[in-house]
Amino acid sequence: ERHRGKRRDGDGEKKKRKKRRRKGAHRAEEGEDEVQTRHERREREKRRRAKNDQEAKGRERDEEERVQTTSGKVAKTKKNIRNENTRRRVEEEEVEVEERLEKRKKKHGSAKKEEKKEDEGKQMVKEKEREVKKKKHKKETSEEEDDKEEDSKDEEMRPECLTPEELEKLKEAVDERKKLIQSLRGKPWPMKKKLVTLRESQEFVEKYEGALGKGKGRKLYAYKVMMTKKWMKFQRDFENFKTACIPWEMKIKEIESHFGSSVASYFIFLRWMYGINMILFGLTFGLVMVPEALMGRPYGSMPRKTVPRSEETSAMDFAVLWDFGGYAQYSVLFYGFYNNQRAIGWLKFRMPLSYFLVGVGTVAYSYMVVIRTMARNANESGVGDDNSFNFSWKMFTSWDYLIGNPETADNKFASITTSFKEAILEEQESHKDDNIHLTRFLRVLANFLVLCCLAGSGYLIYFVVRRSQKFALDGLENHTWWERNEVNMVMSLLGMFCPMLFDVISTLENYHPRVALQWQLGRIFALFLGNLYTFIIALMDEINLKREEEKIVKFNITTWEASLYNGTISENSTAPSITINPADVPRGPCWETMVGQEFVRLIISDTMTTYITLLIGDFLRAVLVRFLNYCWCWDLEAGFPSYSEFDVSGNVLGLIFNQGMIWMGAFYAPCLPALNVLRLHVSMYLQCWAVMCCNVPQERVFKASGSNNFYMAMLLVILFLSTLPAIYTIVTIPPSFDCGPFSGKNRMFDVIHETLESDFPAWFSKVFSYASNPGLVLPFILLMVLAIYYLQSTSKSYRQANVELKKKLQTQNEENKKKNKRAALKAQMDLEEARKAASQAAEEQKNNNASLQGQEDRQLLASRAPGPRTYHHGNHGASGYLPGFSEPRMCRVPSLQRH
Amino acid sequence: KSVIITVVIGNSGMMVSGAIALAFLPLLLTLIIRYRYYFVLLYRAVLVRIWKDCITGLTREERAYQYVLTHATPGDPDSILEAFDVWCSKVEFISNIGPKKGKILDRLLMEQSPLTVLELGAHCGYSTVRIARSLPLGARLYSIEMDQRNAAIAEKIIRLAGFDDDTLIVNPSDEVIPRLRSDYNLERLDFVFMDHWKKCYLPDLQTLEGSGLLGKGSMILADNVLFPGAPKFLRHLRRSGLYQWKIHRATLEYSKGIRDGMAELVYQGVK
Repeated sequence: ERHRGKRRDGDGEKKKRKKRRRKGAHRAEEGEDEVQTRHERREREKRRRAKNDQEAKGRERDEEERVQTTSGKVAKTKKNIRNENTRRRVEEEEVEVEERLEKRKKKHGSAKKEEKKEDEGKQMVKEKEREVKKKKHKKETSEEEDDKEEDSKDEEMRPECLTPEELEKLKEAVDERKKLIQSLRGKPWPMKKKLVTLRESQEFVEKYEGALGKGKGRKLYAYKVMMTKKWMKFQRDFENFKTACIPWEMKIKEIESHFGSSVASYFIFLRWMYGINMILFGLTFGLVMVPEALMGRPYGSMPRKTVPRSEETSAMDFAVLWDFGGYAQYSVLFYGFYNNQRAIGWLKFRMPLSYFLVGVGTVAYSYMVVIRTMARNANESGVGDDNSFNFSWKMFTSWDYLIGNPETADNKFASITTSFKEAILEEQESHKDDNIHLTRFLRVLANFLVLCCLAGSGYLIYFVVRRSQKFALDGLENHTWWERNEVNMVMSLLGMFCPMLFDVISTLENYHPRVALQWQLGRIFALFLGNLYTFIIALMDEINLKREEEKIVKFNITTWEASLYNGTISENSTAPSITINPADVPRGPCWETMVGQEFVRLIISDTMTTYITLLIGDFLRAVLVRFLNYCWCWDLEAGFPSYSEFDVSGNVLGLIFNQGMIWMGAFYAPCLPALNVLRLHVSMYLQCWAVMCCNVPQERVFKASGSNNFYMAMLLVILFLSTLPAIYTIVTIPPSFDCGPFSGKNRMFDVIHETLESDFPAWFSKVFSYASNPGLVLPFILLMVLAIYYLQSTSKSYRQANVELKKKLQTQNEENKKKNKRAALKAQMDLEEARKAASQAAEEQKNNNASLQGQEDRQLLASRAPGPRTYHHGNHGASGYLPGFSEPRMCRVPSLQRH
Repeated sequence: KSVIITVVIGNSGMMVSGAIALAFLPLLLTLIIRYRYYFVLLYRAVLVRIWKDCITGLTREERAYQYVLTHATPGDPDSILEAFDVWCSKVEFISNIGPKKGKILDRLLMEQSPLTVLELGAHCGYSTVRIARSLPLGARLYSIEMDQRNAAIAEKIIRLAGFDDDTLIVNPSDEVIPRLRSDYNLERLDFVFMDHWKKCYLPDLQTLEGSGLLGKGSMILADNVLFPGAPKFLRHLRRSGLYQWKIHRATLEYSKGIRDGMAELVYQGVK
């Protein structure tokens, strides 16, 4: 209040007050004077500087100030720009000192004596107050006044002692601040100023917002603010939590930031695969393995659930178990262990039906998921890829200002660098135009070479397989280890080396790395497919052999049973064949279990190979390169062996083919999904570690946006190719007679018929038989084909429409841009003119002011007013034509007048 | 059927069958294709050199000198450099700095315009001529060469190019550097070019640091830091913090596929 009072000048009342003050001041200690003189000097300096400033950049200020009139807190902001922060702080401190001194003075004075004076003083204060209010109302038109008031409020007012009007004002000011914060982005100010303004406005709003409500309302308001803040924090935490819940998300992000999206796409694919396998595992484990283990007949109760007598001695050996023989073979892990009992346990669980349906269901589910994911990916890639201003976006919007810890910052830094590299590469590729004929020739040549290589390796595999069959006929004992394992050796060697050769050849083609990756994937796919089918053909041969064997065994068993029956008859007629141990019963070869075992062995050896190559090829190499480099004659790190790069194509294909094996073998070995889950889990951790620890990023880091669907397409092909043999075996080959859930049936799918006949009412089976009539099925299929065709064509037309609309939007955008540009140019010219006019007006005004000043000077000299006052008035004059301009800290001026 | 296989099977003592051996063919091809530049380099730098040494009885540098003498214009450094380049890329291989990396060297010299230049490893004078060509007036170039015969050739080449304001010092670099200040009245080196034994890069740099000849802003350029490579030197750079440094990536001289780099160091002085 005192400050506000001090500001009024040229009134009789005020003069009186000044006198009183001066008296008080004389009574006070001497130190105060020093403070004030210092202060005065500073103030004068400041004013002068301010004025110089104003003259220098008059026009600029003009504009600035016009904007500032809208904001509440003009004086302070402006001063901030004009002065350094530290300086302001000093000044504020000084003001405080002054205030304190004065307060003390007053107390002193009142304590001394002179009741009258004190009364007078009180009266004066009241008067002052009244006057202030009046003036406030009067001068509300002048904005500087408001500003000053707010300034003073900032410094001394407590929200508790506010009158309604003041509250109203405060509210307005807060609203204005809020508006300013919102519109700050569009203001044509330098960034530093914006930041300062923003910070101060926010502080202001924070400080006074809560004060707006009174009593209960204020509390409620504060509570609301607090709750919104808490809620926001909670939301952010929840987001973090959600991210943390996505398995391996952080690891993958870290890899992505260092190695680019192509490497990360492999790990995302791996994670996706892990999810699929989890579900497959859940199905087989929950619906097949656990029911059989819990409710089925226990081990040893039947011949198919018992290790035969001849193998009993070695059934627990590690080598046998490692080969999935012995006890492992006669367990729930394989097809042969399951019983053909129609319903097991107290739940009447239909085991054979469940087995069959789970087998079909896993494949159906896989198809569904793969196709759905493909469709979703296709959607994503098609829409909204705005590549204009790509680099500007990256440049100015990449950094995440919420990053708090240095490691994340490092990662972000790496990821931004990588994304820049990717973008630069894309840009380069789009501008590349070489000798097109040469490139074409080289591409044809490269494909020819690759085809030669594929044909050669195919022939080699064929040759080796033929030879191994010859060896098998001769008897394997006559041959060396090398010859016996020739097929496996050749296949794995070719699988290892041919991709390298393809890689070298593909440098001829000069493709974009993403396209090159796809070609590479396609080629290796062809190579692996050869391997896979060799394997399947060999397996088929073996199945046929086993079935021959089975026939013989079947015949032998009947004779054996007959002899047994005869034997028992002769001895004891009441209890036939009760003493026979199931281990001694002769049994068939059970080709299904053999197939399952082959697949499990293949998966295990494949996994081992992957891990060992990882450890030797990546880790050992990295260790050698790193530590031998201290004592080597050339630079190992930058030169010849170097660190390895992450082989995306090889790893992706390994994963895909591995999955194909699972799909093929899961019907005969229910444990396969479980094994695969284990393998994927381990390889996730191992490969993440290996990538971060021993690999270097590729030389050309590229964006992998399109390749994800390519992986999916390959997966679909593999799914199709791997279900073919499985379905073939299920449909055409009769199941073994003495093992597995379908034993005793002619075909495996007979279980459906059986269930329909015995478990469902008669009408249902009738309906089903009608429905499965070809006369109904064929039209249905036709209808489906037609529907698919219709949907396809509509989607195509929609896509076209989309493209058209996009084009339209683009042209419209360009038009708008042009229009805006024109408007901006015009506005600029107008502004220029206005400025010129304003500067002219300013000159004139200044001249006027100078004359005015002269008069005032004289006047003020009488009242011993110091220099700053004149400046002060000068500014007043200026603010007439510069709306919103006001002096900093007008409130302090009167205190100087005491001298 | 395949001839090789029957042959191998014929040798019944062999353990590994021919099919397995054939499976290694892609690996062999891959290695040959991937490292073809290294094989070419090996052939040109080692095999051809030994062969020619035996035939002519001259050293490689002497042969190069003969070629330059017959094909270049005396007094014209450009023509001498060009003759060298032709000989090194067409006839035999000498690890000069080469035209491509030479351009970087030229540019740096133009920018710095140093007055005192030290060259470690003159070899047969190619880089000496190159440096001398782009030095400002009044500059002085000290060139150090360890081998007596190479030094003689370098001297001749330099004189042939028409430069006489440089000093050729025939001694190992580690002996010369500590005595530079006393013997040659050197106060400060503005520019040092290193192209001698890669193993000597680090010790020589350290002796230079210790001798106090490097001032703030002195530039050191080291060739072939990636191939054959000077890993210890680079490690020292990273750790010491005395230099502002960067690596100009390029390919090895007179060869396209081998990556190499030159390290550019600016001495920042002891803090």
